[in-house]
Amino acid sequence: MIRLRDLTKDYDRRQILRGIDLAVDPGEMVFLTGPSGAGKTTLLRLLYAAERPTSGEVWIAGCRVDTLTRSELPPLRRKIGVIFQDFKLLRRKTVLENVNFVLRFHGVPSKEAHERAYQVLKRLGLHHRQSALPESLSGGEQQRVAIARALVYQPRLILADEPTGNLDADLAAELLSLLCDINYQGATVVVATHDIGLLESLPARTLVLHRGRIDYDGMWPP
Amino acid sequence: MIRHAVAEGWLLVRSRGVVSIVLAVVLAVPVSLAGVTLSVRGWLDPVIDLGQRENVVMVLLHPRLDDSERAAWLDDQARVHPGWRLEPVPPAELARRLGEWFPYLAEVLDREGPEMLPPLVEITTTEPEQVAELAGQEQVLAVGPTSSVNRLVGRTAQHLAVVLLTVAVVVAIGAVLLAAVWVHLELHRHAEEIAIMRLMGATEATVRGPFLVAVAVPSLLAATLSVGATVATVSWLARLAAPFGVVGGTPPWPVVAGEIVGAVGLPLAAALLTLERYAADDDE
Repeated sequence: MIRLRDLTKDYDRRQILRGIDLAVDPGEMVFLTGPSGAGKTTLLRLLYAAERPTSGEVWIAGCRVDTLTRSELPPLRRKIGVIFQDFKLLRRKTVLENVNFVLRFHGVPSKEAHERAYQVLKRLGLHHRQSALPESLSGGEQQRVAIARALVYQPRLILADEPTGNLDADLAAELLSLLCDINYQGATVVVATHDIGLLESLPARTLVLHRGRIDYDGMWPP
Repeated sequence: MIRHAVAEGWLLVRSRGVVSIVLAVVLAVPVSLAGVTLSVRGWLDPVIDLGQRENVVMVLLHPRLDDSERAAWLDDQARVHPGWRLEPVPPAELARRLGEWFPYLAEVLDREGPEMLPPLVEITTTEPEQVAELAGQEQVLAVGPTSSVNRLVGRTAQHLAVVLLTVAVVVAIGAVLLAAVWVHLELHRHAEEIAIMRLMGATEATVRGPFLVAVAVPSLLAATLSVGATVATVSWLARLAAPFGVVGGTPPWPVVAGEIVGAVGLPLAAALLTLERYAADDDE
């Protein structure tokens, strides 16, 4: 599902990622961890093509991402569900609209989009807030809306950047269980986190990034 | 995608209702002004055409000039005014005309013969006022007519049409710039949403569609307003002009079609160019 070859990313001559080689098979669940500034978010941004690498290759589902033109990006991004660290919710849209507007890009009829969005919100316990604007939600609720938006079109690859950062322990466990369910149904899931508790609660393949390199690639705990 | 563009575009229009109405009115004014001008110019075309035609000015020369002096004077004028067409009128022709215009002279003309008449030269020119300057020459008895009412009215109508069309074009440019600036500001205001939409897989058409709809709505309103205003104004002017023998009517269909195309096409083109230039920024 994911292939990275000798991937390097520089910002102003500062190397954020150095010669990353990685393969993630379809249906795998992978945690990406490391200290702040290790390059976790940058690596995810390269995967959903919000950035271009300085050198190296990024392949997603057999498609080379780093050479795609702007017009070729939307079909790729529709295969990926991204849960952003800063949520990236539309401030002028309600919770329900934030979730179902993505389905409209996918050509889902509005009635069906409405129903599917409602069901995902219900699954995440947010259906009673469907008419609220994001600014009136708590951090945890906003996080769950972002998750609902990433899950609603059932993508084959889910990238989550610190998805439990704003959730309490119970909600974090619930989210992890949800991601596991999705992974169990066949989706590839990549979770960037520095929450050791999250890693220890679920034995899975873990990549430890340190100073732009993968220091460890294996099951966690080691 | 079209439904998304219409729904989001309509939200944009509603959130900026005053700007949309101002844009519609600012667009409608020059388009309607141009439409009225072109319609009225159509009625005045015969007058303008008459005013642009050549005028014939008659110059009566002194009878004491002999043939060689007359020929020298004609050569001299032809050299100084190459745009003039000088045609001496034969005495017999002049006598015939005088007899027709003033029948009481017929007897005198028959008795004395046409040779007693002073030589007449017809000068065909588009500038009859220049011929008037000949009146001061000792070889010339009289000159006339040296101005043309038709010409004056025609030129005035032509100048008025040019001025009104220029005003319309200037105001239309302002309106189109207003549309472009509006789109630019809305792009800036929605930059974060656009970036999020792109990250979620929205195509450029999905991103830009709502902005085009938001410009299309006031443009269509402007087209309706301008056509309505043009029809009303032209009808009113036709009633005013009727006593002067000017046959007016409704605006011709090419003018109406031009108004619709101008009111809708120009701001949409401005919006497309603005989107092409400013909506292509990076995602974040």
